[in-house]
Amino acid sequence: MFELQNMTVRFSFGEALREASLRINPGDRIGIVGESGSGKSMLAACLMGMVPDAAELTGTLGVDGIDMTHASEAHWQTIRARRVAMIFQEPMSALNPLRRVGETVAEPMRVHLGLGKAQARARVSALFKEVGIPDPDSRLRMFPHELSGGQRQRVLIALALACDPELLIADEPTTALDANVALKITDLLVDLSRTRNMALVFISHDLAAVARATTDIAVMYGGDIVERGRTAEVLANPVHPYTQGLLAARPDPRAVPRDANGRRRRLPTIPGTVPPLYKLPQGCRFSGRCAVERSACAYVKPAPVGPRHATCHAITQDTL
Amino acid sequence: MKSLPANFTIGAVLVALVLGAAALSLVWTPHDPTALNIRGKFAAPSAAHWLGTDQLGRDIVSQLMAAARNSMTVAIVAVFLGGSIGVALGLLASAIGGWVEDGVMRLADLGFAFPALLFAIMLAAVFGPSLTNAVLAIAFINIPIFARVARASANQVWTREYVLAARAAGMNKLAITRDHILPNIAAAVIVQATIEFAVAILAEAALSYLGLGAQPPASSWGRMLSEAQTLIYLAPELAIYPGLCIVTAVLGFGLLGDGLRDVTDPRLARAR
Repeated sequence: MFELQNMTVRFSFGEALREASLRINPGDRIGIVGESGSGKSMLAACLMGMVPDAAELTGTLGVDGIDMTHASEAHWQTIRARRVAMIFQEPMSALNPLRRVGETVAEPMRVHLGLGKAQARARVSALFKEVGIPDPDSRLRMFPHELSGGQRQRVLIALALACDPELLIADEPTTALDANVALKITDLLVDLSRTRNMALVFISHDLAAVARATTDIAVMYGGDIVERGRTAEVLANPVHPYTQGLLAARPDPRAVPRDANGRRRRLPTIPGTVPPLYKLPQGCRFSGRCAVERSACAYVKPAPVGPRHATCHAITQDTL
Repeated sequence: MKSLPANFTIGAVLVALVLGAAALSLVWTPHDPTALNIRGKFAAPSAAHWLGTDQLGRDIVSQLMAAARNSMTVAIVAVFLGGSIGVALGLLASAIGGWVEDGVMRLADLGFAFPALLFAIMLAAVFGPSLTNAVLAIAFINIPIFARVARASANQVWTREYVLAARAAGMNKLAITRDHILPNIAAAVIVQATIEFAVAILAEAALSYLGLGAQPPASSWGRMLSEAQTLIYLAPELAIYPGLCIVTAVLGFGLLGDGLRDVTDPRLARAR
């Protein structure tokens, strides 16, 4: 299947991804969480072969054992859609406003599977039905502006499924949708992954959606995967200080809004902001914002420790 | 229905007037525009000759109509030819990027640096003055203009998420250019073409005025102007009529182009 090994994406101004390793087997549902700028989308771009030309890649990206790290664009065009597909964050802008949605979804089928017009149309109709678009035969003749946000996201899911990919990458698929629709889209992705035995990489900063959709999770910060494991275990018992901070910053609807002295309770935050790429510390990327930081943290890159592969100097086999 | 901007409406009316006259001249003119009548030269406006006759007794209205047809043909062919090549180059530059893009754009700069009239004079010197050479010269000056417009608009469209989605669906650059880029830059290209139409009409008139465009007996506003030049004190109306026609056509297409841009640009629509 898909395997990233020590993948580093280096730009002239910094590293967007540092020695990231990730193995994706058929049917896996992996969540990628982290703040904006943590490298989530760069990880997705690696898996799609869509890293900007200006980047220098080291490490390997194996697709069924074939190293695709430096594969040509033409080679990638045979992989995309058929092996790996992607849906995007903004369903409003990810559809060409001048094309009927049916045409957009049919196109990869016609290009990659060699289907004729009628065959492609029948397949689009069946796909629309599968992703929960009512009255698919009339919907496929519509333009994007005639559909609601949730429907457009379903169209984009149908587009991604056009050639039965083995891996579907969903890059913040629910961020632009309202809560109710987001929930339905999340559940749809899980159902599709189950029924098609299709791997799902679910990128989000919505921890609740990740908890609902995935079995495994990788937490990213500053281009590093800082912790990974079973989703339920990581969310219940985070070991990396960054994961702990991220989880503490979740609003808890059951929390009492005022403390014993009647003061308004404030949501805990991780101090500071993610530094820009060119200012990231050489060692642990989280140093400078970390509560348990030691003197060496900013200069020495921590090695992954334990079953969670947590990259933190404060964690040893004993503290786990 | 939102009300259309005034420049669009006025431009459309003027353009319709000129195009109507040109189209009508295909099937009907009051007189044969090339028929000489030395006895009836410098005739005053009358029921037979609405604007009178020129120094060779030719009917002025008929000449103006035939000239409108020539001007329109030159402008359409030249802008279409130059526009197609320019847009193709711009799309190519945008799709491939890198040194191809740099190369095409520097060539466009070179094209801009070259005065259009000078190029036309050069063509005339080498191949002899003719309407065809005037068309080629005007088409040539349009290439860099359209290349720049197409490349700038296309570069914008390439960053849209639906293009990213098409790439993620394994589409190659040719298919993306055809299905996504071209339809989405069409508005900008059409607006530019309308404006370049006005420029082409003016350029044709200038070339014909210099004797490098339409050759006798073909009618042309520019040639009518140059023939009227020596008679400017005797019969100033001979220069005024084709001059007014040029102004009408150029103003019409210019206003129509501006109006189209206002209509198609949502940012301006908001301000209106």
